[in-house]
Amino acid sequence: MTWTDEELVARSIGGDADSFNELVLRWERPIYALAYRQIGREEDARDVCQETFLRAYRALSGFRGQAKFSSWLYRIALNLCRDWVRRERRAPVVQAPEDVDLLDLAATREPSEPIEDLVARHDLSRAVERAMAILPEEQRTAIILKEYHGLTFQEIADLVGCPLSTVKTRLYQGLTVLRRELARSEAASAPRT
Amino acid sequence: MSETSCGFRGDREDALIAYLYDDGHAIERASFEAHLDACAQCREELAELRGVRVQLARWSAPSPEPAVVLAGEGGRQAWWQTMPAWAQVAAALLVLGVAAGLANLNVRYDGSGLTVRTGWMTPSSPTRTETAPERAARVDALAPVSVTPASAVTRSDLAALEQRLRAELRAVQPSSVDAHATLVRAGAPIAFDADTVRRIRAIVEQQVDASERRQQNELALRVGQVMRDVSAQRQADLVKIDRSFGYLQTNTSVEAMRQREALQRLNYIVNVSQKVPQ
Repeated sequence: MTWTDEELVARSIGGDADSFNELVLRWERPIYALAYRQIGREEDARDVCQETFLRAYRALSGFRGQAKFSSWLYRIALNLCRDWVRRERRAPVVQAPEDVDLLDLAATREPSEPIEDLVARHDLSRAVERAMAILPEEQRTAIILKEYHGLTFQEIADLVGCPLSTVKTRLYQGLTVLRRELARSEAASAPRT
Repeated sequence: MSETSCGFRGDREDALIAYLYDDGHAIERASFEAHLDACAQCREELAELRGVRVQLARWSAPSPEPAVVLAGEGGRQAWWQTMPAWAQVAAALLVLGVAAGLANLNVRYDGSGLTVRTGWMTPSSPTRTETAPERAARVDALAPVSVTPASAVTRSDLAALEQRLRAELRAVQPSSVDAHATLVRAGAPIAFDADTVRRIRAIVEQQVDASERRQQNELALRVGQVMRDVSAQRQADLVKIDRSFGYLQTNTSVEAMRQREALQRLNYIVNVSQKVPQ
């Protein structure tokens, strides 16, 4: 039987540790992905992810179900990411090293994928990461929540505490900047003739 | 409603984004779709933003490293149950053999990190590099683990934790040990009843909370000290600047006065020379 998040929360509050364990297993990857895309550092993203679940565990008895459990977790994670950015007083870091270890890269390769495609995929991923790091925090957050976590406009608005139209404006402006930056990056990496 | 340069009656950007993501009111999306048939500018922009979304989809986040700590009845358990690293080790240590009575606990925090041993365990080689699967299996078996401390832990924290763990172990009833314990040997997991694990976890949590509160207070004090130092230095610098500026002003005034006197003497000489009879 598959329990819903709310059912698992209720069982956890009742003392069933395995239920909270199930929630962690279910949401660990999305929360980590959110933190990584916001911060840009694997280790710090891992710390934020762990801290998110620790805080959720400690505050679980106060969770009244006014919002979805996932939204509550996202809010905790976003606040921690924001604290990290302000504490570090800098934009997210593009962590990918300049010198790529081809052996590590090859480990991610599909069996039928040519090495040239693999390198191109890696370069594009880094270009996206660099472009995202340029965006203001609120635009980056809106795009991450929409593109990678599938939240609706209303859910994003409720999560970050802004009007619906503001969410759409941030998405439009963010995508417009990304379009320009990715085009510039593509032009810069094109072979000169 | 306003009219934009492309002729769309309404908030064009809002409508475009809603259409792009297929989110929002159906009427709004239908209205914009009808507009697209007649507007090349919007069609072009929509296509470009769709291209951006395709590129965004290629950015994948790395997978979080799974952390297996306690060997619970369900098998693999997540890292969250073991809190920070040093608390993970302390909690993991408690899964140990007590068939012969109270285990001989030893908790050390030194340059190599936090090490927790029982009298049952032989020290692991300090130079051996463990792989992740090996580490997970060993934690399941509760061998001693040395970890890099994630946060500062005082010796009194460890001593207090050791005492409380000993007291908790003493409280384990022989009947429950017989029912749940298995013979301890390297690599063999052992299970405690859920109530004991819960109590031990509560102890570890309390120590972690106390340690964290202490660290936060120390951090706040240090930040306050740094701010006071910076403010005092700034005041001193401002005073110096003020004095230097005053010195410069004085020098400039003196120089100007000398020049005026020189000019006056020159004028006097010129006047006198003009009055000299031919």
